Amino acid sequence: MPVQPDWQDSDLFRLLVLGVRDYGIFMLDPGGHIVSWNAGAERIKGWAAEEIIGRHFSTFYPPEDVRSGKPEWELRVAKAEGALEDEGWRVRKDGTRFWANVIITALYDDTGELRGFGKVTRDMTERRRAEQQLTDRRRLLAHLVEAQEQERQRIAWDVHDDTIQAMVAVDMRLQLLARKLPQEHRDTVDQLDGAVRSAISRLRNLVFRVRPPGIERQGLRDALATYLADTAMMAEIHNELEREPGDDAAITIFRICQEALTNIRKHARASSAAVHLSTVDRGFLVRVVDDGVGIAGLDSNSGHFGLIEMRERAEAAGGWCTVSSPEGGGTVVEFWLPDVRP
Amino acid sequence: MRVLIADDDPLIRDVLRDVLDDEPDLEVVAVASDAREAVELAELHLPSVVVLDVRMPHGGGARAATEILQRAPGTRIVAFSAYTDVGAVDEMRRAGVTEYLAKGVRNTELVDVVRRLGEQ
Repeated sequence: MPVQPDWQDSDLFRLLVLGVRDYGIFMLDPGGHIVSWNAGAERIKGWAAEEIIGRHFSTFYPPEDVRSGKPEWELRVAKAEGALEDEGWRVRKDGTRFWANVIITALYDDTGELRGFGKVTRDMTERRRAEQQLTDRRRLLAHLVEAQEQERQRIAWDVHDDTIQAMVAVDMRLQLLARKLPQEHRDTVDQLDGAVRSAISRLRNLVFRVRPPGIERQGLRDALATYLADTAMMAEIHNELEREPGDDAAITIFRICQEALTNIRKHARASSAAVHLSTVDRGFLVRVVDDGVGIAGLDSNSGHFGLIEMRERAEAAGGWCTVSSPEGGGTVVEFWLPDVRP
Repeated sequence: MRVLIADDDPLIRDVLRDVLDDEPDLEVVAVASDAREAVELAELHLPSVVVLDVRMPHGGGARAATEILQRAPGTRIVAFSAYTDVGAVDEMRRAGVTEYLAKGVRNTELVDVVRRLGEQ
């Protein structure tokens, strides 16, 4: 390969730096005055080269930072340590602020003398806003999930302690009444009694589905096993978790598994199903797999099969959830939650 | 055969009394609406069998069972509860309860259990 002459290299490099629009790249003299400027710096900060060259770089800092001596402090640190990275508010020419990521690098010549500083600035305002929105969304979802959990428990206890009790009393009363009636009326009351008993049974199932699953008492794996046994489902549980999840993560894992298993029971026509729990990326990876008919035309944004609810629960906990129907058949619900404990 | 009923739900209390009183050999001698009252009435009436709810005000069924058995050790107690989880059953067994029936059993089964306990 032909070796390019030095002048051509540095010329190209200068052109590259001047043309970069996503990063403000410019140089300061040892005292902090601007000596070069590029297209990105103009775009981000609003100053043209001829307006800004020669001015002190503290122009870009908000008054409170200037008062506290932050610009000079940053140069001192860069000089002492070679470089400094910072994120914070900076000011544009028109006085508006933007959230910047800044890297200041001290530039020394061959004799070890400080020649100035290189400064690379990125406008992170949009990204910061997006991150903020994501955080807000997660927080909101977490509140919603928690509120939903509490509401479920309240409904479960109300139905259990009040409605079912009243229906049990009615059922006992009907049995008593049937004994005292002549045969021709007894059948009618027996039928009524049967209807009440069947309603009690359905309500008990409802309570079972929405009540707290008792994870804190028996652990996630056993709570899942109990759920499978109570719903007469044949599914294997492969538990390779290195560490039992905390209460919040455990309830989220349980509820998503419950939703996925309910789908399998109701829709999949599967002959086998399995729940795999493993530790991945300092978090909990869970796969609920079946060999059933799969979901045709799967749209994970559709409101069907509780897909959105599963995803929201996982995302509220800082994780993700995806549902797929592989070509060979069956459905895979896969989700991951971070282990947020130290 | 003398029976005491304790349940905080008035509907259940009333129908329990009627179901048991409907049997010629059973007599409901007292009806309590909480754990404390259950203990007091058991001491007063010395029933053969107590039909005891599990979740009740003033200490719940487990405490009532313990205290009744302290004061009248010959009493037989059947827990009659909507809660059938292992924890609830264990707690009542430890308190000395002989039988545990889930609310929703047939009246005949309840009557049979009360009668069997009373004959022991």
